[in-house]
Amino acid sequence: MNAQRLLAFLVAIIISAPLLLPDGQGVGLVNAILIWSIFAIGFDLVFGVAGMLSFGHAAFFGVGAYTLSLLTMRMGWDFIPSLGAAGVVGGAVALVFSYFAIRVSGLFFALLTLALSQLIYIMAGTKLRMLTGGVDGIAGVPRPDLFGIDFYDDGNYYFFLLAVFILALLISGLIRISPLGQALRAIKSNEVRAEQIGFNVQRLQRSVFTISGIYAGVAGGLLASLIFYVGPQMLHWSTSGDVVIMVLLGGMGTLFGPILGVAIFEIMREWLSTQTSHWYGILGLIFIVCTIGMPKGIAGLIMQLWDRITPGGKS
Amino acid sequence: MSGTSEAKHVLRCEDIEVSYGAFKAVTNVTYEFKPGLLYGLIGPNGAGKTTLMNALSGRARLSKGRVFLNDHEITKQSPHARTWAGLGRSFQITQIFAEMTVFENLRLAAQAHRFRLQPFWSPVGKFREIANDAEKVLSEIGLENSAHVNAGSLSHGDQRALEIGLALLSEPKVLLLDEPLAGVGHDVAEKAVELIRRVTEGLTVLLIEHNMDVVMEISDEIIVMLAGEILASGEAETIKRDPRVRTAYLGEEE
Repeated sequence: MNAQRLLAFLVAIIISAPLLLPDGQGVGLVNAILIWSIFAIGFDLVFGVAGMLSFGHAAFFGVGAYTLSLLTMRMGWDFIPSLGAAGVVGGAVALVFSYFAIRVSGLFFALLTLALSQLIYIMAGTKLRMLTGGVDGIAGVPRPDLFGIDFYDDGNYYFFLLAVFILALLISGLIRISPLGQALRAIKSNEVRAEQIGFNVQRLQRSVFTISGIYAGVAGGLLASLIFYVGPQMLHWSTSGDVVIMVLLGGMGTLFGPILGVAIFEIMREWLSTQTSHWYGILGLIFIVCTIGMPKGIAGLIMQLWDRITPGGKS
Repeated sequence: MSGTSEAKHVLRCEDIEVSYGAFKAVTNVTYEFKPGLLYGLIGPNGAGKTTLMNALSGRARLSKGRVFLNDHEITKQSPHARTWAGLGRSFQITQIFAEMTVFENLRLAAQAHRFRLQPFWSPVGKFREIANDAEKVLSEIGLENSAHVNAGSLSHGDQRALEIGLALLSEPKVLLLDEPLAGVGHDVAEKAVELIRRVTEGLTVLLIEHNMDVVMEISDEIIVMLAGEILASGEAETIKRDPRVRTAYLGEEE
């Protein structure tokens, strides 16, 4: 067993908790973890693989949530096509963002994506109130209606989410080892050289940003259906901040790290928020300590420990 | 290879100018590079040598003038498109993928050249021809024994060789080498010169180099720049005797 497999094993335990625990305990929490993981896996393609820090992913997440909600509730679409549309719209908004934001890099890229996503947040709360329900949002977002299974039961919905999650993870794993993923690694490592050996840097960055937007859109749609509600909060910059924290905490640039980050984040959110109303501040503090203490996140820490306890067996 | 015109020149720049505000880093440069020759580009610091190279490879925006590669105008093309068109380049400050292995570095360059449209659904390791290209260049630049070493931990001389290898993988017709010997020790420099000679055979090369002995020895033609302009050009012996060059560059009063 190497460290990668150990990480995969940990992830497998977390996501199969409802099957392992008596009476399907923890299914609500794991459902949220699965959805946020899809978001985080997609985000890490941009952040960890291509090295672009986006602060605008809430826009794709929220837009996906609204797309699914509006199509199912106002247009009478079925759930699955609506979920597909949530991904397409999330990706399309990301593509539009990328045309503005990819002209600049580093901090300016982060600020530009932040500004664009806040624009959408404000529009959803005010100008588009007729469509979005303004600050009240839209309640009563449905869940899928497939094979006569009652997905309004969290235990059943878990399997649906698990399937989407595994698909998302597989695609992300493929992208990482594909020529596209390698080219993105090259861009992250040295943009000047990547361009000079013939990579079309901007087009590759736009591609991965769009793919990441699809992930965010699908995740947003799924979250709306999980909590039967969509509101402008999902478009708020703090949602972008959450996913950045999750990925950093878990280990950016690794396939399984972001999922561990999501799991810790969600468990803390669940547990801390029952202890104190200042839970978000405490979470922030933990995050700061963690990033200073383990710059490569939990995944990095686990891999380091694993290498230490298995001498010679470098993974 | 295209047409009869190629016999005359592969790379041509027409009255090009690069300015930063009021400062003209390169100006009035018109030059035709003939196929298969090695051009040594010399001049004092700040003469505009690297800027000229940036203008040719697309990293600096021209404020005036046009650039042609094989008679196709590339003035407005981005650096990657010029690479596809056959213009390879190495940099003064080493630009490699430092945290990847030597082999991964070369494989990326091979991939960038072979798959401009990035096929998607397959691990990159499956593309045998990419690995073959990378291995071929690996032995050309003499780094077989360092294939799985991180590029960042190579010696400086080996990093410079890798940099040339990366440029070679795009199968350039024209190769721009910006001080490939910068910071390389004396004994290694000899090997490096030998390497440059060997791998650039048949290519058109523009080489910036401060070591006069090396430049005079390996160049077919020398181009001397001063204050953004081409002061003189010609064969080494002619350049050495040129009084303008002696005054302006070699610092000799006659």
